[in-house]
Amino acid sequence: MGLINFLVYLAIMMGIYGILSLSLNLQYGFTGLANFGQVAFFCLGAYASTILVLVFHMPFIVGLFGGMAVAALFGYVIAIPTADLKEDYWAIVTLAAAEIVRIFFLNEDWVAGPDPYIGGAFGIGGIPQPLRSLFSAHTYPFFYLAVVLVCLFATYIVINRLTASPFGRVIKSIREGDNLPQALGKDVKRFRLKVMALGGGFGGVAGCLWAHFHGFVSPDQFMPLETFIVWAMVIVGGKANNKGAVFGAVVIVIFYNCTRFLKDYIPIEEVTLASLRMVAIGILIVVAMLFMKEGLIQEKKSIYETPLSKKA
Amino acid sequence: MTFTQVVINSIVRASELALLSLGLTIVYDILRFANFAHTEFAVVGVYVALFLNLTLGLHIIPAAVIASLATGLFSIAVDRAVFKKMRSTSGIIVMVTSLGLAIALRNTIRAIYGATAQNYSVPLQKPIMTEFFRITPLQIWIIVIGAAAMVLFHLLLHHTKLGKAMRAASDDPDLAQASGIATEKIITYVWFIAITFASLGGILIGMETYILPYMGFAIIVPVFCATIMGGIGNPYGAMLGALVLGFAENFGLYINFGKILSLGGLLGQTKGLFIPTGYKPAISFVILIVVLLIRPRGILGRKKEG
Amino acid sequence: MLKVEKVYKSFGGILALFGVSFEVEAGTITGLIGPNGSGKSTLFNIISGFYRKDRGEIYFQGKKLGHMEPYRIALMGLGRTFQISEAPEKMTVLENLLLAPKNQTGESVLSVFLHPSRIKYESRQHLEKAYEILHLVQLHDLMNEYAGNLSGGQKKLLALGRILMSDPLLLLLDEPTAGVNPTLIKDLIVAIKNLRDEKGVTILVVEHNMKVISEICDRVIVLDFGKKIAEGTPEEIKRNEKVLEAYLSGSTKREFFHDNA
Repeated sequence: MGLINFLVYLAIMMGIYGILSLSLNLQYGFTGLANFGQVAFFCLGAYASTILVLVFHMPFIVGLFGGMAVAALFGYVIAIPTADLKEDYWAIVTLAAAEIVRIFFLNEDWVAGPDPYIGGAFGIGGIPQPLRSLFSAHTYPFFYLAVVLVCLFATYIVINRLTASPFGRVIKSIREGDNLPQALGKDVKRFRLKVMALGGGFGGVAGCLWAHFHGFVSPDQFMPLETFIVWAMVIVGGKANNKGAVFGAVVIVIFYNCTRFLKDYIPIEEVTLASLRMVAIGILIVVAMLFMKEGLIQEKKSIYETPLSKKA
Repeated sequence: MTFTQVVINSIVRASELALLSLGLTIVYDILRFANFAHTEFAVVGVYVALFLNLTLGLHIIPAAVIASLATGLFSIAVDRAVFKKMRSTSGIIVMVTSLGLAIALRNTIRAIYGATAQNYSVPLQKPIMTEFFRITPLQIWIIVIGAAAMVLFHLLLHHTKLGKAMRAASDDPDLAQASGIATEKIITYVWFIAITFASLGGILIGMETYILPYMGFAIIVPVFCATIMGGIGNPYGAMLGALVLGFAENFGLYINFGKILSLGGLLGQTKGLFIPTGYKPAISFVILIVVLLIRPRGILGRKKEG
Repeated sequence: MLKVEKVYKSFGGILALFGVSFEVEAGTITGLIGPNGSGKSTLFNIISGFYRKDRGEIYFQGKKLGHMEPYRIALMGLGRTFQISEAPEKMTVLENLLLAPKNQTGESVLSVFLHPSRIKYESRQHLEKAYEILHLVQLHDLMNEYAGNLSGGQKKLLALGRILMSDPLLLLLDEPTAGVNPTLIKDLIVAIKNLRDEKGVTILVVEHNMKVISEICDRVIVLDFGKKIAEGTPEEIKRNEKVLEAYLSGSTKREFFHDNA
């Protein structure tokens, strides 16, 4: 790949993972929902939009909103019976739920249409890239990058607005325990459901963008490992800080990809290198949890403007 | 596949799971967090045994024993390096840490051994075949070792000073610490027992099937499921949970739901309706979710007041 | 305002509340006293919905509370403080106060984007009120400090200020003066009495400080081992034999009770 193309690819990855990271940060950083099944939203968004576009011949934009809706619905529905579970049990449940989603797509190849060689373990290929015909092969990546960045920007603005609002205040209070928000008249469960739906929706957007960029989706792209990579981004970048979440995505994507080139300088096999990269991520998580629980960018303190009548 | 065969398969699986879930539950009980790296420690044991067995040419039995003990000691070192500093940290943070640890361990093994499946060098075995079932000597050993380990643990818990201390620390950690029962010492023993058993369980699975770096991940949800189903923190619960899950997984695939749904042929021709084998991993996941929703404390778990 | 009717509660075989019944009249301050372990906190938790009672009924403003979730009871106008202050550590003092008003428009996701001006207006109102309350509980210097950095006594004041922000009709105060320095206690007494006189708030207060009880309470209810043993004005209670006995004897009574449970 040429250098420019590679950088555009990196930027697109940063954008997609930035959205995933913002979504997980909303759930965990702000609300204390330790979602170990984040990849399920990613997977559902990717598959839903793919099926809408390939099987039902819908335009990309329908795929995008469809993916978002399916993932949001999944987040909401999963949370209904489970949201009040203790946090470590909930983490395990979400992990299990995400695996069930993946196994579903692994087994049910009929969702991709009648062709026996499409879907299931074979994955679904030939996903059309939106508005491809308007651009040359050379310029298209830039267009797609623009699309991704618009989505990232929109996600950031929406989540930021929410976390700075009274809604954000309530979920932050829920983060540290149910008792106080309950005593103040907040319907804790409903807030959790909303956060899961929101988190799901954004995860779905990321999934759709991923599917249409790669042109191919398959169940083994959505292993639990993906969830933990996003966790690394949230932790390293900064819990409960939206800029931090995006920053974390940037850092981890760079880290993950720059080690590709080591192969040319150090005689290591591709597989070994991939594994070592993951070892480094694992160690990074451990170190971050031990010494840098707050991440590189700290949570912002909320300061309010003094009302004019009180300014001394 | 006869009924008897399914029962045998269930008991074998239950024995393997029990070795793993027992360790998970006692660590949760004393250290108060769900260790996502538990099954990865087991895999470390699996590969150490592989090294001893294939590279150093040791017979599988001493290899398994040495590997299990060594991994048990290794886990103590890891505890000192990582978890000791987090004794009073919130559950999620420690869980995420254990997750990072799991990723690191799993991929270190993968980096060294690659992603291809391997097998122990085990003397050839002739299975016992009857009209109704088939069982290999290895499977018999798995059942025996599993049962023996459970009995051993029971004896430890109720007839030794350590066991008494463990039970005290489990019932009331603050009181135990205040009355001079050295909690750190107990923690050391708990890790050792938990991970030695887990490694043994992993090695047995490796002997029965095959060895892959990601086998820890493949087994983690069933192990969690068994542990939680029986009541997390209760060692007998872990054993019970393993038993229930071993049967559930195997009978889940065996049962012809078509027959049940059509009331045994009363409602006309029955088409076979089985859970597809591709969903076997999903069985434990679904059971886990259902258990957590209906009775989070598990079958033998303690109730929290509120 | 509040009616507690024959409430029973046990924890794993140990009886914490044994047929407790009493009424709290609107616009009064009622004290709830009793030696440690007499069931006062349990009662508070049951009234506010955090614990489930085994038997009996609670009526708030004439409505049966049944098994209502705590937040619904809070929305009906019941406010409470906790014995061990529940304060989100990662939120500032001011933020804590702003959290308290009920049914804020900005708490709905759609409203955040569809009704920004209304939210801004509400927020200005809340800020004004918050500043007043901050001055009342003398925490205005610490307004941008994380709640986690406050001392125990300051956290209590924060809890009080916070619940005041929510305009409760009935206020359950759990040991409001514990850990608070004596000069401030005087101000608190004035503030609490003010709540009753000027805002008509009904108050049920658990306290160990008998001076405070005498000064502010219209009526006092005394619990011992989960049973109501006396009820009356502070004067009457001070002279009540059963009450004195309860506070003096402790351990022998405990043995007797367990043997006969």
